[in-house]
Amino acid sequence: MSSDVVLVIVVASALAFDFTNGFHDTANAIATSVSTRAMSPRFAVALSAVLNFAGAFISLEVAATVGSGIVESSAVTTTVVFAGLIGAIAWNLATWYLGLPSSSSHALIGGLVGAALVAKGADAVQGDGLVEKVIVPGLVAPVLAFTVAGVSILFAYRIVGRLRPGPVNRAYRLGQLVSGSMFSLAHGTNDAQKTMGIITLALIAHGDLSASHFHVPTWVIVSSAAAIALGTYTGGWRIIRTMGTRIIKMDPAQGFSAQGSGAAVVLAASHLGYPLSTTHVISGAVMGAGAAKRLSAVRWGVAGNIAIAWVLTLPAAALIGGLVYAFSSIFGSGALGPVVVSLSILSVVLAFLGRRFARGQVLTADV
Amino acid sequence: MPLAAIDWDKLLELVWAAAVAGIAVAIVFATLIHGATRASDERRAGRGGVAAAYTALAALAALGFTAGVVFGILVIVSK
Repeated sequence: MSSDVVLVIVVASALAFDFTNGFHDTANAIATSVSTRAMSPRFAVALSAVLNFAGAFISLEVAATVGSGIVESSAVTTTVVFAGLIGAIAWNLATWYLGLPSSSSHALIGGLVGAALVAKGADAVQGDGLVEKVIVPGLVAPVLAFTVAGVSILFAYRIVGRLRPGPVNRAYRLGQLVSGSMFSLAHGTNDAQKTMGIITLALIAHGDLSASHFHVPTWVIVSSAAAIALGTYTGGWRIIRTMGTRIIKMDPAQGFSAQGSGAAVVLAASHLGYPLSTTHVISGAVMGAGAAKRLSAVRWGVAGNIAIAWVLTLPAAALIGGLVYAFSSIFGSGALGPVVVSLSILSVVLAFLGRRFARGQVLTADV
Repeated sequence: MPLAAIDWDKLLELVWAAAVAGIAVAIVFATLIHGATRASDERRAGRGGVAAAYTALAALAALGFTAGVVFGILVIVSK
């Protein structure tokens, strides 16, 4: 009975994380398209939501690799997963509130690392895996995307610079429909599967599925796809505004170069099996497309805040995950700890939403 | 930082593959726009031959761009 309750809480938390993942990462696919008026905001989030939903059904390879090579599998219990998810959700919501794009995947890994550290000690975390899968990609992604987008926009200006701006801008806006769609599809394929993997691991730990044959049940695929699509449709407008207008004021050519180069970098990495964060890639590409035109076109203060958020993502999510695990453990190893934590968080969230509704605001009010 | 954990060959491959792909997308799409816009201008000016050449350039670039998109979708689907 107790393990059933923990399983239900883990599944609900995983879907909540999936929602925040979609909500938080909408900006990656649509911010540049919205800011250059290639698409209306509502059309952009709707298209991105549909493609994220579709992307979740395409492949299940990523689902089997969640946390592998970073946290020892023997340390992954349902309570560790629960605490890790809460760490990731909390960091996603904090960065959303501040309008800062940060990696949801790194937040999830951070949460799991923190909870596993508290649960089993330093041996539960594989340092090499952390360097190879989080730290190096975290450094490579923005620098590579910055450079590629910067060189791309210089070539683009050289080729179309003397043409009439009207048709050029219209064509680049049309191109953004394609590059934005590619981004959304790739995002759905990657990120919804992390939730599927988490829920499947919880089902294996609970004894509902066989560990020897990794199989994601259909209801897990559908619910994960729906949660990320719903989150995407809700739209994290604060981050969209930062990415679309606060880093640089971009023209359609810059928007296309950032998105096209970003999509090329993400897909090249995906093809080579290299785990790059879409958030790091598109943020770096936007800065690169701006800096190539004029260094002072980039608001380096905003860029600096984003970089600080990236550096803090792993330790902050780990800290929260570790604290949640430690707090849950006070109530023993049963369901009481996760229940108390869940009820406390629900109370805080309801109080926050209640205040916003009382003021006549809702989550999407800041479009 | 344990540098031994880094697969340098893979990293280098990523850098050049991403650079080539990203810059190629930008050049091909800009060429498509250049070809289509100039073809329209030349046609309006009554220079049919030059317009046809620019149309061919735009068509070639459109083919290249479409191939890139299809390859991208294949990468996503085959993951």
